[in-house]
Amino acid sequence: MKCAQCEELFTDLVNHELAPAEKEKVERHLAGCPDCTLELVSFKQLWGEMEAVETPVPSAYLKVKFQAMLETYKESVKEEENTAWDTLKEQWKRLWKVQPRWPMAYNLAVILAGFAITWWVAVPQKTGDQGQQLKVLSAQVTELKQTMMLTMLENPSASERMRAVSYTTELKQADAQVIDALLTTLDNDPNVNVRLSTLDALSGMAAYPEVREGLIRSITGQKDPLMQSAIADVMLKLQEKRSVGSLKKLLRQKDLDHGVREKINQTINSLI
Amino acid sequence: MNTLTDNSIMLKVKAGDLDKIGLLFERYNRPLYGFLFHMTYQRETSEDMVQQVFYKMLKYRHTFTGSGEVKHWMYSIARNVLKDQVRRKKLAMSGESVEVVASHVAAGLTPEEHLEKKQAKLALQKAMARLSEDYREVLTLNKFQELKYHEIADILGASETAIRTRVHRAMQELKSIYVRMEQ
Ligand SMILES: [Zn+2]
Repeated sequence: MKCAQCEELFTDLVNHELAPAEKEKVERHLAGCPDCTLELVSFKQLWGEMEAVETPVPSAYLKVKFQAMLETYKESVKEEENTAWDTLKEQWKRLWKVQPRWPMAYNLAVILAGFAITWWVAVPQKTGDQGQQLKVLSAQVTELKQTMMLTMLENPSASERMRAVSYTTELKQADAQVIDALLTTLDNDPNVNVRLSTLDALSGMAAYPEVREGLIRSITGQKDPLMQSAIADVMLKLQEKRSVGSLKKLLRQKDLDHGVREKINQTINSLI
Repeated sequence: MNTLTDNSIMLKVKAGDLDKIGLLFERYNRPLYGFLFHMTYQRETSEDMVQQVFYKMLKYRHTFTGSGEVKHWMYSIARNVLKDQVRRKKLAMSGESVEVVASHVAAGLTPEEHLEKKQAKLALQKAMARLSEDYREVLTLNKFQELKYHEIADILGASETAIRTRVHRAMQELKSIYVRMEQ
């Protein structure tokens, strides 16, 4: 065995990854070679010193976060099952109660009712019941979607959070809780793509005054050039004159991106 | 007391007993954190990534077949999470993070430690930080995570011979960086 060959096996030697025959060869070489022996001593020293390299331990908070993640995940699994069940139930109901789901038939029934009050009075609860049931069912679905979305917004994965945001566009109406969650995401989500899609979703809800106000409030807190520019676009689209003050405040930031500065100036000019 | 193997725990999780993943968390959150820390030198990011590893294990639990080791599966998930993270945040994984490393090492020291030892340790950690990611990865897995070559090969999807060579080269590289720093 040559010195170079011997040296090549040092890592394997300290790792106890040498076959017995190889190990024997190395030992035989070392016995007759002071150079390699010295080299091995210095190698072992380095190998030993590596043990002193600090590996920190996670904070106690990690376990808390893990538990929260697990609970959230379990909830979302449960909700998925519930949603599947609800969809099934709904479809099944639709199969044998076709008429009331059909708005035309429903309207027709109302018109007919005007002419045939006696008949209407004879079977009032049934029709009322079905309408009521439908309302309850659709409210349940909306509520479920909302809960699911709120849970998903807490998800550690950015793509899951994006999915949650896209859910909100499916909601026929957003309640205060959803709006609040979206505005919080807009300001605080660590992922810029999530924040951008949240902005997109919120701009579709501009009919709600609290959404508009929230968007305006959010302007000065945005640090990312992408976000600053996107929110300026939204303000222009919404023709939101009240945003001018916040936009001007943004201009006062010294480190503002050059392109963004230009865009905000244009936006302000078009708004006033 | 607790004699359940990692694999049998994971198979229970797969079967729907999601709480059981807590046992795997207890066993592996520290080693995974250690691995991710040595690859990024960022404490908070490493914690987030550990969290993501366990989330992905839950999400993809049905893909666990039980034919391989859970531990290896976890490390490969951790590597993917790391890759995503680097792509997303353009995390600086070497070179300029030396300063960060220095501050972390300083934070981890006890007052009674000797200055000399302190400096040697710091120098070695700096040298580690200057290694290429591939080398740092195998050394972390081999030395700090105490994994055998065949295990690393399994995690990285490489041959055992390739890992043997890589670990050896990583040590050579580390030594030469270290020597250059001492001069
Ligand atoms: Zn020799």
